[in-house]
Amino acid sequence: MGKEKIKINDEFYDIMPPEYQELVEEATYGKESRGWKDVGEAKELIEEHSLCAGCPESIAFRYVLACLPKPEDTVMVGSTGCTSLVFPHVAVHNIHSLFGNQNAIASGLKRTLALRFPEKVKDVVVLAGDGATVDIGLDMTLQSWFRQEKFTTICFDNELYANTGGQESGLMQKGFVGKMAPAGKKFDKVPLPEIARNSGCHYVAVMTVSKPNRVEKAIRNAILVAREIGPTYIQLYTPCILEIGKQMMEGLQEMRDSEGPGKRFEFKEYVSDEAKVFLDEMDAERKRKKKALRAARAK
Amino acid sequence: MYAVAEVVDESCVAHKGCRLCIMYCPEADTIRFDKEKKVAFVVEQRCKGCELCVVVCNAAKHNAIELVHR
Repeated sequence: MGKEKIKINDEFYDIMPPEYQELVEEATYGKESRGWKDVGEAKELIEEHSLCAGCPESIAFRYVLACLPKPEDTVMVGSTGCTSLVFPHVAVHNIHSLFGNQNAIASGLKRTLALRFPEKVKDVVVLAGDGATVDIGLDMTLQSWFRQEKFTTICFDNELYANTGGQESGLMQKGFVGKMAPAGKKFDKVPLPEIARNSGCHYVAVMTVSKPNRVEKAIRNAILVAREIGPTYIQLYTPCILEIGKQMMEGLQEMRDSEGPGKRFEFKEYVSDEAKVFLDEMDAERKRKKKALRAARAK
Repeated sequence: MYAVAEVVDESCVAHKGCRLCIMYCPEADTIRFDKEKKVAFVVEQRCKGCELCVVVCNAAKHNAIELVHR
């Protein structure tokens, strides 16, 4: 999908919804330097959604969509959960998979897109909750990493099954008592980032979404590495304020509290040697371009 | 009766480059930047009244956003 494809026929312009008109006029498709700095000034690729007021997951969603390097050539694969409530309101191609199937579908999709559009780069991004990634879809998630499928997996980790009332999930922290897990969790949080690293992911990052520039960098790196080298994985902490008993304005503080040194979501990044060489080259290239631009401006 | 956020233009420091409320608002296209007046403004129909913008604005001691009832 290019921006040309979403343009409105002149005769029908006035009967299209104003949101769609804004999308055609202001959205940042095809802009190379797009990032979270565009929010507030350009139309975002996400519309009014049905997530709760103050939900940190929707903050994460905004950043992810603002930071995709090429939204017009990206297909997102979602799965059951709170994220699937948002996908109908997103202006990026997306597929809703069966619960847990997301990485299997993305594997097939990525291979098919490579055959269908050999001259173009099409990004595939999986975006699912922790239940789909770690419990129900763990098989598909791991197999896609073992096979070195070239797409990015993003996990919105809210540490429980929020959509159905707070049952225990694999990523729930030890000892936590959920609304529908009254005995408390008996074993540790599944160390999925470490598993990802050992399963062949070339770029792994764990963080909260309290710092947008950090999220932007991680998402860009993950998608670019996935294009060229192999699977990548990002785990974002998006606490469910309802289920952990917080007020709607306390989500941000909760994220900041859990990312300090030694806490569960301290920023962690793993880059394989191959990916490191690639990212360093990209950085050098970007710096060279900036320098050339500055030199041209000075003249 | 709904509570929605409202930006006090005089106190808003968006002209100095502050984008805190725009950044941390969970709703898309809700708090936007007015390029002419150089202040942030709230699109009321989209606001869910979660107060997150008030929290971040007050934490930075700008105190430029308040909740109003509509």
